[in-house]
Amino acid sequence: MAEKPLEGPMDAGRFAALADAYGGALHRWPAAEQATAMLFADTDEGRAILRRAEWLDAMLDRHRVETPSPALHRAIVARAATEVRQERRRRFWWLGFGLAGVGLAGAVAGLALVTVVAPNAPSDHYVMDANATSFGDAGPDADQAEEDL
Amino acid sequence: MGADPDEELVRRIGAGDPAAVQAMVARKLPRILALAARMLGDAAEAEDVAQETFVRIWRHASGWRQGHARFDTWIHRVALNLCYDRLRRRREWTMDELPEVADEAPLPDAMPGDEERRVGQALLRIAPRQREAIVLVYYQELSNIEAAGAMQVSVDALESLLARGRRSLQAMLAGDGDD
Repeated sequence: MAEKPLEGPMDAGRFAALADAYGGALHRWPAAEQATAMLFADTDEGRAILRRAEWLDAMLDRHRVETPSPALHRAIVARAATEVRQERRRRFWWLGFGLAGVGLAGAVAGLALVTVVAPNAPSDHYVMDANATSFGDAGPDADQAEEDL
Repeated sequence: MGADPDEELVRRIGAGDPAAVQAMVARKLPRILALAARMLGDAAEAEDVAQETFVRIWRHASGWRQGHARFDTWIHRVALNLCYDRLRRRREWTMDELPEVADEAPLPDAMPGDEERRVGQALLRIAPRQREAIVLVYYQELSNIEAAGAMQVSVDALESLLARGRRSLQAMLAGDGDD
């Protein structure tokens, strides 16, 4: 996300607020405000504000940290081969499971489709037995019901 | 957001390229180690954080996709989370309980050659979120937008943390050298 350059001159209040936050080096300031800040930095007020911020910058610059040791560098590189290989293997297996899942889902969907399109297809070998009528199965219970009437 | 300068290197690491691994360590290790050292004030713990950060890089390299954040911003976030895990363990504080107000009492005047240690002490005495903001913007030289993204705050909130942090440092460090 790029910042849109601000238009119009910068006032002392905004310049001081930016110096309070980002210090006296303008390259650390928000990109969108650097051009207008540079103009204000050329004024007496701007120079005084920057001088105050630069004092703390100079103090902060004194704090140095150690550079990485060759042993640390080697240990990190050595770990990379194992971790990358394991992660790729893990991804391969998950991909395999994913494909198997897709295949299974396809089979289930196909079965469901067949069930919906052709439900309970009658058998070509259906044999009418003695109790079967064209109105359904009139078994012993049906006979009993007729007698009860 | 433009092209991510690290994206190609990450892709090559994911493909198992050993030269890319070496290049990534050379490019990022000094930055991550410096970040952790300034956040924790302990060289040994900083090395542990750097190692853990790289383990996460190796694990995510084959699946890395640039989303809203650049790769560099993402590894800063990973390293910072690891630093906060250690700060919480160290002080048994939750994130919300970490102090927002620094002890601004001036530090003793430095002996010649001792100012580096004094600045390090002052950094450790300001609130962790203020320290995080200063480390990201001042030392790591992240832009305001990248730093705000890594800290998951607005740019206005970042500027407030920076200004409060710098004021606290100024109060602690001001001595004969102050104007």
